[in-house]
Amino acid sequence: MSQDFRLENIGMVNRNKKISFTFNGKKYFGYEGDTIASALIANGVHLVGRSFKYHRPRGFFGVGVDEPYAILQLERNNERDPNIRATEQEIFEGLEVKSVNCWPSVNFDIGAINNFLKMFFPAGFYYKTFMWPPSFWYKIYEPFIRMAAGFGEASIKHDKERYEHKYEYCDLLITGSGPSGLASAYAAAKNGARVILAEDKPRYGGSLLTSDVNIGNQTGVEWSEKIITELKSMSNVIVKNRSQVFGYYDHNMLVMSERISDHLPKTQKYLPKQRLWYIRAKEVLISSGSIERPLVFGNNDTPGVMLSSAAKEYMKVYGVLVGKKPLIFTNNDSGYETAIEFKKNGVNPIILDTRKEPYSDIITEAKNLGIEIKYSYVVVAAKGYKKVKSADIAKISDNKKDLSNIENIECDCICVSGFWTPSIHLASQSGNKSEFNEKIDAFIPKKSKQKENTIGSANGKFTLEETINEAFDKGYEVSNKITENNNKVSIPTVVEKKSSEHDKFWCVPLPKGKSYKRFLDFQNDVAVTDIELALREGFRSIEHVKRYTTLGMATDQGKTSNLNGLQLVSDIENKVVPQVGHTTFRPPYTPVSIGAIVGREVGKHSKPTRKSPMHEWHRKNNAVFVDAGVWLRPRYYKHGNETLFEASKREAKNVRKNVGVCDVTTLGKIDVKGPDAAEFLNRVYTNAWLKLPVGKARYGVMLREDGIVMDDGTTTRISENHYHMTTTTAQAANVLSHLEYYLQLVWPELNVNVVSTTEQWAGAAIAGPNSRELLTKLFPNTDVSNEGLPFMGYKEADLFGIPAKIYRISFSGELAYEVNVESDYGNFMWEKIMEVGKEFQIQPYGTEALSTLRIEMGHVAGSELDGRTIPHDASLEGLVSKKKDFIGKRSLSRSAFTKPDREKIVGVVPLDKTTSIPEGSYIVKDPKAKLPNPKLGHVSASCWSVEYDNPFSLAIIKDGKNMIGQKLFAMSPLKNKTIPVEIVSSHYVDPEGKRVRA
Amino acid sequence: MQKYSVFSLIKNAFSDHQNWEVAWKDPTPKKEYDVIIIGGGGHGLATAYYLAKEHNITNVAIIEKGWIGGGNVGRNTTIIRSNYMHDDNALFSEFGMDLWRKMSQDLNYNVMFSPRGIINLAHSDAQMNAYSRRGNSMRLNGIDAVLLNREEVQKRIPMADFSDNVRFPIFGGLMQPSAGTARHDAVAWGYARQADSMGVDIIQNCEVTGFDVTNGKIVGVRTSRGDIKAKKVGLCVAGSTNILAEMLNMTLPIETHLLQACVSEPVKPLLDHVVTFGAGHFYCSQSDKGEMVMGGDLDGYNSYSQRGNLPTLQHVLTEGIAMFPFLSKLKMLRTWGGIMDMSMDGSPIIDKTHIDGLYLNCGWCYGGFKATPASGWTFAHTIAQDRVHELNAGYSLNRFNTGDLIDEKGLGTKTWIS
Amino acid sequence: MLYIFCPHCGSRSQNEFAYGGDATVKRPELNKEISDQDWDNFVYLRKSPRGKHLELWHHISGCRQWIKVERDTSTHEIFKTYKADELTE
Repeated sequence: MSQDFRLENIGMVNRNKKISFTFNGKKYFGYEGDTIASALIANGVHLVGRSFKYHRPRGFFGVGVDEPYAILQLERNNERDPNIRATEQEIFEGLEVKSVNCWPSVNFDIGAINNFLKMFFPAGFYYKTFMWPPSFWYKIYEPFIRMAAGFGEASIKHDKERYEHKYEYCDLLITGSGPSGLASAYAAAKNGARVILAEDKPRYGGSLLTSDVNIGNQTGVEWSEKIITELKSMSNVIVKNRSQVFGYYDHNMLVMSERISDHLPKTQKYLPKQRLWYIRAKEVLISSGSIERPLVFGNNDTPGVMLSSAAKEYMKVYGVLVGKKPLIFTNNDSGYETAIEFKKNGVNPIILDTRKEPYSDIITEAKNLGIEIKYSYVVVAAKGYKKVKSADIAKISDNKKDLSNIENIECDCICVSGFWTPSIHLASQSGNKSEFNEKIDAFIPKKSKQKENTIGSANGKFTLEETINEAFDKGYEVSNKITENNNKVSIPTVVEKKSSEHDKFWCVPLPKGKSYKRFLDFQNDVAVTDIELALREGFRSIEHVKRYTTLGMATDQGKTSNLNGLQLVSDIENKVVPQVGHTTFRPPYTPVSIGAIVGREVGKHSKPTRKSPMHEWHRKNNAVFVDAGVWLRPRYYKHGNETLFEASKREAKNVRKNVGVCDVTTLGKIDVKGPDAAEFLNRVYTNAWLKLPVGKARYGVMLREDGIVMDDGTTTRISENHYHMTTTTAQAANVLSHLEYYLQLVWPELNVNVVSTTEQWAGAAIAGPNSRELLTKLFPNTDVSNEGLPFMGYKEADLFGIPAKIYRISFSGELAYEVNVESDYGNFMWEKIMEVGKEFQIQPYGTEALSTLRIEMGHVAGSELDGRTIPHDASLEGLVSKKKDFIGKRSLSRSAFTKPDREKIVGVVPLDKTTSIPEGSYIVKDPKAKLPNPKLGHVSASCWSVEYDNPFSLAIIKDGKNMIGQKLFAMSPLKNKTIPVEIVSSHYVDPEGKRVRA
Repeated sequence: MQKYSVFSLIKNAFSDHQNWEVAWKDPTPKKEYDVIIIGGGGHGLATAYYLAKEHNITNVAIIEKGWIGGGNVGRNTTIIRSNYMHDDNALFSEFGMDLWRKMSQDLNYNVMFSPRGIINLAHSDAQMNAYSRRGNSMRLNGIDAVLLNREEVQKRIPMADFSDNVRFPIFGGLMQPSAGTARHDAVAWGYARQADSMGVDIIQNCEVTGFDVTNGKIVGVRTSRGDIKAKKVGLCVAGSTNILAEMLNMTLPIETHLLQACVSEPVKPLLDHVVTFGAGHFYCSQSDKGEMVMGGDLDGYNSYSQRGNLPTLQHVLTEGIAMFPFLSKLKMLRTWGGIMDMSMDGSPIIDKTHIDGLYLNCGWCYGGFKATPASGWTFAHTIAQDRVHELNAGYSLNRFNTGDLIDEKGLGTKTWIS
Repeated sequence: MLYIFCPHCGSRSQNEFAYGGDATVKRPELNKEISDQDWDNFVYLRKSPRGKHLELWHHISGCRQWIKVERDTSTHEIFKTYKADELTE
């Protein structure tokens, strides 16, 4: 297929490499280096999409990130990428793209009926209707609106691509490789600064790629190639193309997304799709250039209407003609440059200049080339539906209010230039307030907030000479500040054509009797009348206008519409633009892949996984694991076809009957050392610690300052000044921070140090009536008798040559010991315990059996200590010292904490002794009471008591102590259950605690 | 006032929409009002509306520093729910749900209340139990709640990660079917338009610079547009509460924090519900425009700046992909930040103060938007009657002295841990 | 992303730190009489100014020291950081 709009001898695409791709199922070809946009234009395709609201035909408007129209869907490696900008995506062999937001096709779109009904759909129409009948909004109207909105279709498949993160530090980050970026990078790099130069596009050079200038006796393109080549060769410079710096965050942290494989046909293994760079820069030069502003006239959204700079870039970079009968509509000299380029390529443009009598080198050149120029002329309206076919043009009066001599002329594209808008987004993100510059009718950055400077056209400098001089100076100045070097490079001479002043005129009035839509925001279909309506209805703040009309809220974030919107508001309100103000820019400058932001922390790696040293053993022995925070713990060990319920019952029973072993490595462990350690513990825990002898453990409860229980655990005095503290698995990190807070900030006079030893020790809890016998065999040289190692005793011992620590503590309520060895010996210890324990019918038990054991003993855990309970609620008031002060004590005297009917933990048994009470049920007096039904309290934990072989639960209920013996109801409406229950003591098994002391 | 309807829309279309009236006027402040509401956000506007509608108090001014609806009512993720465990929060919010259901008709403004259901995902049995506790409490309080198992969740949100390659598998979830979303701007504008029509003065670009208090009684406020006398003054300035409190020499149990949210580029509808991730703080819904609306953690340090940082968003979106892997292929389009009044137990304050005639409405943490109607209604009652309503009795300031805290999360005073 | 100067380690990314809130809160002395109101104020009241704020950060992924940071809450600019026992200006 021939490419009717491809020029022969111009452009930077690789003519030696043809690439085929499909668009809406039809095959096209382009060249390596083409974007989807340039390749389609080369093939004469201009209709690629439909607008958001009215479904009007959409073509190409720009040539880069500012593109509001050409949003396509890409298919690649059997994956789908929605919302790809055709002006940015480079083509590759086998690429498949299609139009979105249209049905059945982009050519014939049913949704375009909206375009004919648009008189009923002004800005904010949806706030005024769809209210009756009330239920219809969610059921009828909204689903219809939802179907009509949106662009691409998201794939719900997992993203197989790989995204990476990189952290980089540099002296100077330069955002954009146009003339100012290149010059400043060169000057700074030559002065020894470590520079990162980031370019959003595949090619370096920015405006130099398309402008007819001369720098140091070279063309702009030659000069930029020379500079880039040299920069690339320098070891202190990183140059990156396809890399968009999209966010300027606090303390000079900038974030850049590098598109590594987006332009490649097939991702290579280990080559990421994109890479996100976190760059901490000592200084930043923002050289992000400027974006051409549209002129506003009737039907200015018709495919074929585009920015004049885009038309020029399509010719000069891609060798593509956007039309063969171009109309150039301009209020400044930029349009002339495009016209000249057309002429040079054998096409005859007509220029309509809104200005009356402009003079400049460029205009003279255009004249000399024989280009037809009409002064004081405007485009009134574009004609043609799916593509520009002609234009109504008119002479405009000097006051720019009246049109005359309206005539229709044939054309196939209209290239508009309404002057330039500096891209101040990054400066604004940095915290920089901008100021309105009357000379260029646009905002430029004011005073730097962070260590940043804006240069070149991003700073409103529109001549190359100014830009180059400023950039060389800034590059030197900034680098000199950092490196203190004085290597100044000489500034090349610049030859460029001088421009004349632009016209402030930007919006063409409607001819009498005509009601053409004149669009400001092309993607969201926001027209002049919408803004007028918003103001008429009192939405006068620019933020109100924006929200009411959706101006600037599309995926292009208003890059081409914001300023024209502001101009219009200020015109109507009779204000100047700075009075209207503008909205603050927030990152990202351009939409960024969420995959890239997240990086590698996906799937199993979305959070770390912590495993105990015995994990492999558990796995091999059919453990079913459960997440405990980021830890994985065996929940139960599955025998055959056992269910969780059966297995946990078997394991718990075996503990009560014989002996079991449980991996308790995950418990938090903290070494507390120093001469004041006892005093410190005495302040941290609610009970007394000063008299704990060496070799003894004690159970303790610690509070937050607000009196709420923070954590519990046992702490053992290992030696005079050394304590071994244990915490719950969940609170380990918080407790350590808590201790450090008090030691470093509140009581620095205490001579104590704390350090986490959680990962130093592997722990095994050996519990059950046979546990002592087992220990005797495990530690034949140690006296583990009740006298030698009494309840809450501690001993160091030798486990087959390995040093071990034995704590006689119990969570299960049985005779029990906890053995700790250094982590590396964990597996050895475990295997020895299993091997030696065989004759005592040892079985490993998981967290589920552990829960059963602790629940029927009435021991509290996380489900009771949930950040809302005070010691009294958990029946821990016996551990609250009345004599000494401790963290949080003063809060316990608050009235709500001391009222007589304060909640307290109780046991709950179903009257039928068979129905399990779901956890999270509530205890009520009258299950049939009117809602809201007053609740006495909730069931915090439930188990099947292996001791009594019936269900048993713990509950925290109002006035719990006096409720014992009462017959009440446990209700779980979620599970449709109402269970008659009796309230009993929370200590269901062995209330005297004989077993642990046996 | 012009009535909005499909008929008025059609009628106006034929006059080229030239005859629409202003939605609210732009009055100059009077010398004195019966009530001044400081803060033209959702809560302030709703308070003024209910003062006029329920208590017939219309000599009211709303004083707004910037433009109405510019604070958190215009910067949230539009979620409306009453899925609270604590009775105070649950009954208050459920009262609000009734107001939400009638709001479009009540205000003659389509606030697009959309009861699309909210699902809190659970990733362990322990979490399922915690959700049961909350869901049962809701049900006993007369609020709809359903416990879903894994298959039931999968039926509703098949795009969530039900694969094996997942760190925290989905066990099930708690759903409040009647919860949903509403169009945030419309809520502010709808209340403003009705309040204005009943005689309330909406005064924008008017910054409060001080208060006049005589003998322990409020007598007026000082503003950038002059002193204005008032018999009663209500503060509705969540996010800026501490700044105004300082002018009154009050210190409140509130820290000011920054919360970010973001939206993706719009895609065709695929997510019908609001979904929260149980192994983190991420939540997501899809707007009518097609954008995925996402949020999560606080930035985690005191801030009055609406500029958030990327690590928080990265962390939040990591949880997002863990929940909805398809998000990876979407692009983050827009981010923004809002300033939160983080109270020391995570619940709000609607109460009288030690200054006679000065009323306080603050401490909304990140739950302010859904509370808009109930907050306005109860605050109007508190101001009009000079006593709290039973619905907001629990939201007293002195609960921090009595210990009657309403701590849904059990996190205590570390407000920055969300 | 904040860049916090830890007086023990040097400048580090905020990712290494945990926030600790108002650094001017002073815990009442142990075993000393204190009114209910004063105690509750200690537990629940925080300075939360717009502007300069002296706050605690905990270098949890570094030296595990608590440090004091003087930071602007409206711009996030950090003026100075102090060791826990250093006197602040």
